[in-house]
Amino acid sequence: MARIELVGVAKRWGNTVAVEDMRTELEDREFVAILGPSGCGKSTTLFLLAGIYAPTEGEIRFDGVRVNEVEPKDRNVGIVFQSYALYPNMTVEQNIMFPLRFVSMEATEAQKQAREIAELVQIEKLLERRPGQLSGGQQQRVALARALIKKPNLLLLDEPLSNLDATLRLSMRSEIRRIQRELGVTTILVTHDQVEATTMADRIICMNDGRIEQIDTPENLYRRPNTTFVASFVGSPPINLVAGSIRESRFVAGERSFPLSGITETAEVWMGLRPELLAVADEGLPATVATIEPMGREILYGADSPLGFLRFLEAAPLPRFSFGDKVRLATVVENVLFFDGTDGGRIDGASLNEFS
Amino acid sequence: MTAAVQDWQSIARRSTRLRKINFVLLIGFLTIVSIPVLLPFFWVVVISFSARTGGVESAVLWKACSILVPAVFAYGGFHLAVKSVRRRLIAAGALIAASTAGLYLTVGDDLHLHNYRFLVNPNLVEELRGAATAGGQFPWVWVAFINSLVVAAISTLFKVTIATLSGYYLSRFAFRGRSSFLQGLLILEVFHPWMLTIPIFLVIFWIGLLNTLAGPILVLTVLDLPFFIFIMKGFFDAVPWDIEMSAMTDGATRRQAFRYVVLPQVRAGIIAISVLGFIKGWEEYVFVTALRTGNSYWVMSTYLYYVADDVMGVDYGLVAAVSVFYMAPSLLLYLFLQRHLTQLTFGGIKG
Amino acid sequence: MLNKQGQRQITNALVFLGPACVFLVVLLVIPIIVDLVVAFTDMEQTIIVTELTTEQFRKIVRPNEDALLGFELRGSFYRALAKTAVFVFFTLTIFNITFGLLLALTTTALPDWLGGTFRAIWLLPRMSPSVVYALLWIWVVDPTERGLLNQILVNVFGTEPVNMFLDQPMALIVVANGFIGASIGMLILTSSIRSIPEHLFHAARVDGAGSLSIVRHIVLPALRWPLSYITVFQALALMVSFEYIFLIMGPARSTMTMAMLAYTKTLAPQIGSGQYAYGAAITLILIVFGTVVALVLYRLANMRSLLANPKIEVQ
Repeated sequence: MARIELVGVAKRWGNTVAVEDMRTELEDREFVAILGPSGCGKSTTLFLLAGIYAPTEGEIRFDGVRVNEVEPKDRNVGIVFQSYALYPNMTVEQNIMFPLRFVSMEATEAQKQAREIAELVQIEKLLERRPGQLSGGQQQRVALARALIKKPNLLLLDEPLSNLDATLRLSMRSEIRRIQRELGVTTILVTHDQVEATTMADRIICMNDGRIEQIDTPENLYRRPNTTFVASFVGSPPINLVAGSIRESRFVAGERSFPLSGITETAEVWMGLRPELLAVADEGLPATVATIEPMGREILYGADSPLGFLRFLEAAPLPRFSFGDKVRLATVVENVLFFDGTDGGRIDGASLNEFS
Repeated sequence: MTAAVQDWQSIARRSTRLRKINFVLLIGFLTIVSIPVLLPFFWVVVISFSARTGGVESAVLWKACSILVPAVFAYGGFHLAVKSVRRRLIAAGALIAASTAGLYLTVGDDLHLHNYRFLVNPNLVEELRGAATAGGQFPWVWVAFINSLVVAAISTLFKVTIATLSGYYLSRFAFRGRSSFLQGLLILEVFHPWMLTIPIFLVIFWIGLLNTLAGPILVLTVLDLPFFIFIMKGFFDAVPWDIEMSAMTDGATRRQAFRYVVLPQVRAGIIAISVLGFIKGWEEYVFVTALRTGNSYWVMSTYLYYVADDVMGVDYGLVAAVSVFYMAPSLLLYLFLQRHLTQLTFGGIKG
Repeated sequence: MLNKQGQRQITNALVFLGPACVFLVVLLVIPIIVDLVVAFTDMEQTIIVTELTTEQFRKIVRPNEDALLGFELRGSFYRALAKTAVFVFFTLTIFNITFGLLLALTTTALPDWLGGTFRAIWLLPRMSPSVVYALLWIWVVDPTERGLLNQILVNVFGTEPVNMFLDQPMALIVVANGFIGASIGMLILTSSIRSIPEHLFHAARVDGAGSLSIVRHIVLPALRWPLSYITVFQALALMVSFEYIFLIMGPARSTMTMAMLAYTKTLAPQIGSGQYAYGAAITLILIVFGTVVALVLYRLANMRSLLANPKIEVQ
């Protein structure tokens, strides 16, 4: 097994920067997700690891050795592309066995392995078909089988679920996780879907604009986001960010101010309030309901408050409030986050004393 | 999982080496096969600027090659090694300066513009050869130039207009007989006018357009026309339906939608087929002679053909100069608009 | 009385499709019909038809009881047919297909600017006027030591000067046409290779395939249709082309293919003898070949996308 490191890796095309100063390390058998909006460089990172792109700067290391110059065919990685990239002129079986053509292996042995892997991803009945005759979900399983057959050091998944419909996506999520555990293969999943990342991965690399914003467990990413970007990208519905400033141990926003501790110097800051942690209470911030979005078992409200427009979530099948209702919003003060107003970094130690 | 620890270092070394060998082999192969294509063109240019009355002197060619070939390879190597645009420009400038100086020192004395005097002297061929020339009275080269320009430009205009209009109609309009028309066009694509030279000659004779410039213009218009229609249909097929639908919901008629919304989207296609059409018209020889246009009008192809026939033994330099003058417009057009030509897809065929 | 929609449909058809129809009918369809008729007449220099006859075909074949179909080809026509076959076969297989494919594969494997440069060089012969291109060949293979080829042969390889016109006329026209033919194959195949989804190449490389395996398993399967298209279409194009042969070789018997025969017997400048009916009869044979090619082409065509219905019904 290979231990995989990215050391200061950058990829640029002319003046366009795709990835800048990537640094991370992957442990054996780990499942890591790279999460970020489209165009943030997450697929580029994947292709850099596969050897399809060569880094402009920095080093990719397998087992501590620089592999920048190693061709994809020698890296022993498996990859599932967003479009699956199945070879249209080959049957499913030929597709799966394709990587085995390039290692010395007897045909019968190759066939046996192909069958085993086909059973693992449950496509053993489709071996004679061609990619054109398969549904999206089936194509995806074939692509997965092809990526796994040569027992790769590293499995790379490039938005593998984005072309599937919602129900299939749900079942494939646990399916991929099961297969990954069974084989113990180090895996990197690229996705823009935070639910996918948080449900599947052990660790998440959150990227924006070609840079790593935070590498952490899903739970930490949610509870202790390093930046306003992570705070608003992870968590659904997105966090409420209130612009304000700190003066004399108070958070001041508009005409309101709240006492806080742990930070004394004057600064421009953002206050982050998770919608699911805001609740209607008898005491609290006065607000007027302005939007109501039923989301199935929950209802997302938007309300105009002295702090501006705030979203809050209520677990209830039917709306309890209607437009124009006056409510009071409260939250657990330990959960309120503060971020630096200029660089967006989280301010540690600052905590609100009361919210009303 | 594979138990053996891979030796990444040696794998990396091996693939770097293989990649280099691969690259050198590719470049080597392409260079060797391209020399026979490129060298004669370079030769004729060199002759046109260096030959003195009488014969062909190749020493200049080899001297020039010995300077330019290393310069080209030096630049190629530099371009591969250096990524900065500014440094590449500096290198190119330096190499051009160096090779110009080198050329000036080695062959500078042999170069002259004397062979291009046909551009200013209307009666040059007669002076060289005496009055008895096989091709009859030679005109000034500019007469042939203008005639060729007329033939190429008008046939291109016709061809592009027709191909664009019918390409659009076939791509976008539903009408009875549409599929039979397209299938018929597919079959007509096969019948190249070269194959039909004789019956086309008869038809043009009966229409009464022998001995005119109009004859070749009409035939050139229909040359490759089905092919061009398919190319344009392909370009129109690629324009999203949504923008045309939205133009129409915005109040445009279909013809207005065509004119203002769809047509600008296929500019690349129009440029591409214009270039191809013009180059075809500019070089036309077969129909100019077959339709007897040559009896009354000189065009560049017949001009060069008879100049070569008449004065070849006397003055290779002049023939070379006329050749260079003749091919310059085609090649310049091609070089400048080459980018558009690579976007052509080849219509109607399974991919 | 037509309604407004119907009227507009007719004017649209006239405006958009009318000019194409006129040109295609007058200069392609009618000539084909004219040829069918003239081939069975005695039309000569004067373009006057006095009788309908199969005499022209008797110049091509003569009755022979022992032959398979009851007739055999006359010598001159047999030679033309054989030369056409040799010319088409070698030009097509060596240049249009093999070289076209090699050029497409190698230039697409290089960085774009470099591959594009080599493709541009190979397009030079096609983009330069035919008379210039032919003249270049005449000069290059000049039998004296003036010719570029002989200069190289004599000075570099130390052989005797060769006279391609006399010794290797077929090789000469195959190479001269081949340099042009290779570029068409190159262009079509380059655009086909470019249209292969990039992910397939990436997937194959990750799966362990080297350059040659990628060519074999990914590229060649995708080039099946374009290669068949080039084969049938270019075979016909070469069969009917005579421009470069005439310009380089003149009316030499050593390179008298069918198309050359028809041209020199009728319209070639100064030597054409105006045997229009005879030329038409040979043309008729080419038309028959053309029809066969058209039928093959018909099978190769992607009818579904070609005939896909328009999505707007308004006229």
